[in-house]
Amino acid sequence: MAIIRLSYASLNVTDLGKAEQHYAKVVGLRTTGKTEGRVYMQAPDSQDHHCLILNESASAGLCHFGLKVSAPEDLQEAADKAAAAGLKVEWLKAGDILGQGESVMITLPSTHRINLFHHSEDIGYETGMRDPDPILKNVDGVNPVSHLDHALMVCSNPAETIRFLRDELDFNLSECGTAPDGTLFLGFLSAGNTMHQLAVAPGPDGGLHHIAFYVYDRADLIRRVDLLKHRGVPTLEYGLTRHGVAGVTTTYFFDPSGNRNEFQCGAYETSGASGRVRPINWKPEDLGQATFYYEGSVPEQFYTVVS
Amino acid sequence: MAIKHKGITRIGFVRLGLKDPGLREAKKFYTETLGMLPTASAPGQLQLRCWHEPYQFSLVIDESDAHRLAEIGFQVRDDADLEGFAARLAQGDIQVARHEAGDIPGLGRSISFAIPGGQRVRLFAELAQLGYETGFETPDWVTPKRVRGTPAPQFLNHVGICVPHPKETIAFLKEYLGFYASEVIEDDQGDPVSALLFRMTKNVGGQELAVFPGAAGKLHHIAFTKDDASDILLDGQYLRNDGVTLDSFGPTRHPYGNTFSLHFFDPFGVRLELCSGGRMAEPHPEFKPVIWSESNLGTALSYHDELDTAPFLAASI
Repeated sequence: MAIIRLSYASLNVTDLGKAEQHYAKVVGLRTTGKTEGRVYMQAPDSQDHHCLILNESASAGLCHFGLKVSAPEDLQEAADKAAAAGLKVEWLKAGDILGQGESVMITLPSTHRINLFHHSEDIGYETGMRDPDPILKNVDGVNPVSHLDHALMVCSNPAETIRFLRDELDFNLSECGTAPDGTLFLGFLSAGNTMHQLAVAPGPDGGLHHIAFYVYDRADLIRRVDLLKHRGVPTLEYGLTRHGVAGVTTTYFFDPSGNRNEFQCGAYETSGASGRVRPINWKPEDLGQATFYYEGSVPEQFYTVVS
Repeated sequence: MAIKHKGITRIGFVRLGLKDPGLREAKKFYTETLGMLPTASAPGQLQLRCWHEPYQFSLVIDESDAHRLAEIGFQVRDDADLEGFAARLAQGDIQVARHEAGDIPGLGRSISFAIPGGQRVRLFAELAQLGYETGFETPDWVTPKRVRGTPAPQFLNHVGICVPHPKETIAFLKEYLGFYASEVIEDDQGDPVSALLFRMTKNVGGQELAVFPGAAGKLHHIAFTKDDASDILLDGQYLRNDGVTLDSFGPTRHPYGNTFSLHFFDPFGVRLELCSGGRMAEPHPEFKPVIWSESNLGTALSYHDELDTAPFLAASI
């Protein structure tokens, strides 16, 4: 079978308490577990144990991404493919990550690590699984996010990592950027019918550009930007904006350690089969429109600030 | 290749027969009022797609002597999948028809069969692509000018069907076609009377098929995707302005699936839906459906309204 989605991001943070407070109060996640130096959190509309692991660390950035597979034997097959591609492979036992079964950690050419697993402890939707009232009990003036939707990682040679994800792990490339010489420098990849779960862009190897949470309504997104400002959360200078890529409404902000977060809203369905539909292409000179559709240009920090 | 998405990868199309000589009224409604794009129409057949879809059609309407749901089409990964389904269905003594490419203009070779409940399902691997309406190079992902001022939905989202024995139909769709249930309404005995079934991993929402109790072979509704609730409120204005009849609830939160939805009728009595949102669902063997009690049906269908559910539960064509 196959990888079905980006399941969680494991992030390094410099102050665990402040980070947990941010993801609980600003994003709307629930804490589902704690171990020494780690906090596990989950969004309301996900049944698994976590969509975010916070690791107490000396600097911010990505520890690894968790990808869920639909069949247990996928783990060995992915390990074989990674080994054949000359990538580092490491097995983790059930319970090495709280609430999670056996997994296989692959180091991508970009040096980011992806952890493939099949089983997660089931904690259910936050609304409950039986006759659920759609409104959560502890709503703080804003509707909850739905789930962790996607992440953007940066590296020195995006094409290499895009090719591995597409050709070996059956991700579909929905939109991409190509340089005049034909080099892929930007890729939006999904293992499902979404526009992207993992995106790859140029930057320092192993860098994290952002993780994104899905929001149901644009009206809610406007309210969220209001609340980011009200609470003094550091944001991108554009506030509420829209991507030309994917055509989704969006806003960017930072957690207290400097990891960039996004709230995103918008429907975009893809074929669910890698390579069936030709990817949308963006040229380097169109990156203003691609990145911020209303403003038509990209603030410097959006390129330079990664964690 | 082992790490590979297989089986049904998406809902492809729904095909209706409408008693509409020349399909003039259907074409007017689905293009001018709903805001779909006509593509490769031929005598006696109208093909339409949503503006965000790269394929030739997601709705096929044939001129017919009566209004009817003709079939629902699902795209599979490849020809090997198609043969795999044909073999499994044959083992289950399900009669499978084979169709050459072009049986519906634009469609590749395909198989079709009746599911318990009477509806016909078509499986195919290839469907012609016209490309994105907004282009493949530096697109403006913006509703095309010619359909602005209409709902102009982005995608075909799901199809609701009525069946006399929901438990049997739901079990068949899971066992033979690999569907997962995202939400189930159970009666006092714990038997399903309705379910939302999915194969796709969308941002949110787990339904390509919605199964309701009712007369065999009937259509309950056809749903299309919209970005969010704000859009749907505006769309309700466009529809009313064009004289369209809305279903009893009007725009509402639909806790069953947790969508924001508006149901309405085409001139032939076909119930249509614009929907946004939905709970995040994963096509995974350990994924669990939300369970609703039949006694809680009113709240499950509309969180905002306190109305009789009978009109909504009636089949359309």
